Amino acid sequence: MDSSHSTKETGDIPIPITESKSSKKTPPVAAVSRWKKAFAAKKTAHQPPVSRWKRALGILDFILRICAIATTLAAATAMGTTNQQLPFFTQFFQFKADYTDLPAFTFFVIGNAMAGAYLVLSLPFSIVCIVRPHIIGARLMLLVFDTIAVPLITAAASAAASIVYLAHNGNSDANWVAICQQFDDFCQRVSGAVVASYIAALIFIFLVIVSAVALRRK
Amino acid sequence: MKAGPLQLGVAPPANRAIAILDFFLRLIAIVGTLASAIAMATTNQTLPFFSQFIRFRAKFNDLPSFTFFVVASSIVSAYLILSLGFSILHIAKSNLVNSRVLLLLLDTAAMGLLMAGSAAATAIVQLAHKGNNKVNWFAICQQYNSFCKRVSGSLIGSYAGVVVLILLILLSGVALSRR
Repeated sequence: MDSSHSTKETGDIPIPITESKSSKKTPPVAAVSRWKKAFAAKKTAHQPPVSRWKRALGILDFILRICAIATTLAAATAMGTTNQQLPFFTQFFQFKADYTDLPAFTFFVIGNAMAGAYLVLSLPFSIVCIVRPHIIGARLMLLVFDTIAVPLITAAASAAASIVYLAHNGNSDANWVAICQQFDDFCQRVSGAVVASYIAALIFIFLVIVSAVALRRK
Repeated sequence: MKAGPLQLGVAPPANRAIAILDFFLRLIAIVGTLASAIAMATTNQTLPFFSQFIRFRAKFNDLPSFTFFVVASSIVSAYLILSLGFSILHIAKSNLVNSRVLLLLLDTAAMGLLMAGSAAATAIVQLAHKGNNKVNWFAICQQYNSFCKRVSGSLIGSYAGVVVLILLILLSGVALSRR
């Protein structure tokens, strides 16, 4: 009678709440254990093959950048420290060969130094691309600046190569004397610097291709 | 750019616009490189005086850097003409990936070659205009005036070609990332 009287008065249906009462005590523990399982599963999960090859390309990009830093700075240093003085001199001037004597060589030193500085500054972005393989903004920015650096390095190397060829062979039509026969050490150093700069240009082209391949969405 | 749910295998319409822009830029680059190659290759100036033994004549193959410039410009303009076909293919089918990467690779190589030729020729032109006192190289432009002007003008076309090739590479990169 009491129960029927109470239901008539209140008008609501008694809903068994035993389930919620029992789960009220353990939700924090259950939630934490669920999170632990999910995190452990994510950590040991097999990386999808897409991010694996993108990560490999990022590591290759980083290694190539380190090599390019070495070559550009070597080229700039080798050209910048040229200073050969011939043992004979006349009353009025000394026979000295320096990289500042030829504007193409000055441009060579400046161009290689700029490329080396850019590479050092781009190393953090390369590391970001390894850590997050699916990032697009940083990769695109590296592609843009690498594409601008390729003609810079190629121009510096080619201008210096043109002058070095002239210094080795001279030109009879323009009456330009081959100076390498006198300034031997200077010529060797300068030729070596040009070779190093061409290797750096090749590495830059590889960097552009690696960035382009890694940009693909697959 | 996305209409409704993203469908796999269908490129956004911006890729087609990029491909059309790519085609027109290639046409501009062809004109620039071809004009500069022809302008350099047709140089021929003979000075009005001559001695008994030699004639004073200036041609592009007197200087090896200019020969290299003509060869490099010709190769790059031939490559650009052949790559017009690829460009049209990309306008028709905008979702090709491997062909775009191949085009980007070849564009980078072409840009390197063109820039090498232009820089070598520029170094010689600078030497011809100013001479060099330290190495005792005499500025030949004071005598060969018309030859020098023509050579300097042809360099402008090839530098324009380099700039356009840089833009083409950047466009290909953007199109690859939007896919």
